[in-house]
Amino acid sequence: MRGGFTIYRRWMRDRTISTIAWTAGILVTVVATAAFYPSLGSATGDLASGGSEAMSTFLGLGNGIDPGSPLGYLWVSLYANIFPWMLMALGVSLGIAAIVGDEETRNLEYLLSGPVERTTVVLSRFAGCVTNLFVVSLISALGLIASLPLFELTTASTSTAPDGSTVTSPGATAGDVLAGTFASFAVAIGLGSVAFMLGAVIGRKSIALGIATAIGVGGYVLYTLTQTTGDLQFLAWLSPWRWYVDDAMLINGLTWPVLLPFGTMVVSLLVGWQVFLHRDLKGG
Amino acid sequence: MTVAIETHELSKSFGDVHAVRGLNLSVERGECYAFLGRNGSGKSTTARMLLDFIRPTSGSSSILGGSGADARIRAKVGYLPGDLNMPRAMTVQDAFDFYGGLAGAPRGSEKPLVERFQLSIDRKVRDLSTGNRRKVGLILAFMADPELLILDEPTSGLDPVLQDEFRRLLAERKAAGATIWLTSHVMAEVERVADRVGLINEGLLAKEVSMQELKHQRVGSIKLTFEQPPGADAFAGVPAARHVEADGDDLVIEVDGPVAPLLIRAGELGATRIETIQRDLDEVFLDLYEGDGAGDR
Repeated sequence: MRGGFTIYRRWMRDRTISTIAWTAGILVTVVATAAFYPSLGSATGDLASGGSEAMSTFLGLGNGIDPGSPLGYLWVSLYANIFPWMLMALGVSLGIAAIVGDEETRNLEYLLSGPVERTTVVLSRFAGCVTNLFVVSLISALGLIASLPLFELTTASTSTAPDGSTVTSPGATAGDVLAGTFASFAVAIGLGSVAFMLGAVIGRKSIALGIATAIGVGGYVLYTLTQTTGDLQFLAWLSPWRWYVDDAMLINGLTWPVLLPFGTMVVSLLVGWQVFLHRDLKGG
Repeated sequence: MTVAIETHELSKSFGDVHAVRGLNLSVERGECYAFLGRNGSGKSTTARMLLDFIRPTSGSSSILGGSGADARIRAKVGYLPGDLNMPRAMTVQDAFDFYGGLAGAPRGSEKPLVERFQLSIDRKVRDLSTGNRRKVGLILAFMADPELLILDEPTSGLDPVLQDEFRRLLAERKAAGATIWLTSHVMAEVERVADRVGLINEGLLAKEVSMQELKHQRVGSIKLTFEQPPGADAFAGVPAARHVEADGDDLVIEVDGPVAPLLIRAGELGATRIETIQRDLDEVFLDLYEGDGAGDR
């Protein structure tokens, strides 16, 4: 692994501006969403409870989630959609940049002309992807945690159930946010790893990016279809959204399916690494 | 072990395109070998196979007694690609620190070369002109004092002064024992540095000649002046005299082969003045191609 840390550090350094931009963008989204809770929390609850089944699926509602509660609001407006999508977009962008992005510009070829093994490049670049995504996720989570008390999201809320009883929902805690963020990070690292593998295997950026995007969007469409039509249930397990939305880890805490994307990550890394070791580098 | 580069029936195809076909090369340690050919003839593909960027369809290659796939072997190689690419936001100094560090070059070892090539190290790679990017590539290739230099069209983009500086640097490294393998499509470029020239055309090694042999072939014609000019048939039977033409008191003889018998005959006939008319090296280059039939392939 000669030069592994040097390559890792260089790659992280080359992505500094991009990382800052992604972090700022996601952080602003997260904090802005939290800031709207005092004024939009109850409206979100009304909108969600009055909507169709398709709308409920789209919003990630189920398992008795109260969309007017702090955690329900954060789930419906952030964690069931925008937040994991943003992290997935970052994951795909990193996964593509790591190998195939540099390959098409021939930067990778020049790097490999030195005393550097292909394995070293694959592992150090992959470690860079994981670190980058983790740091952005963590900073976003910390930003949201800091915002919780500012926007009444730590305060328990009460609502009236259809049977007339009063239901009290707890406020959001740091642990809830960390669990929800970790689940989003897991989905993103899973898709990012697939993008990394596709780039390492195919060696063509546009094709790898297209397939990775299709997998990400296709998984969501598949989940939505299986939930709204009841058809194709046997395919639902293929979509990470099934466990991500059904388990709602922001609200329910981490469950074992959060490990599934890490399995995908390991398999993707192994396949990408092995194919990359044995194929020709493609020039731009 | 005296062989620095060896290929055996090395071939590479991209689909239906046969970029390199059955290439057999052997470059001795300490030798400067120029690999010449037109654009797209297979020069860069060969370089890329030597360094394991691409794998041969068939055949094999070795550099410095090992495989180009072995990072320990590549640690002894300085490489200049035809088109240098590196992260564009990197400064020149960053590039030296990063790539030089990976190659095991001592920190600061680029400084004498930076001064020699008059390069500004604070600029970003994206702001460099083609020539300055070339200088960065050359310095990176040389800074770790490699045993083998693989240089793809090294002087492309350099002005004449820097081309001269480059040739001096190359001569110094050669004198220090380094092996040099360079590609070019400009014959004049390699004249001053190469010991041997391989001509590649459409993936085939058309011809291998020593620089000395090539220089002999460069003598195109000899003009002989006589007080009493003999007839054009006076050189009949002299092997090197391919064509003889009378021009007043002079005879212009197109030369092909060793000139010694021709000069002896000129002396016998009382020649008072000899003038050699050299052909352009590129003409020799084309002759070699056509003479081997490679130009028609």
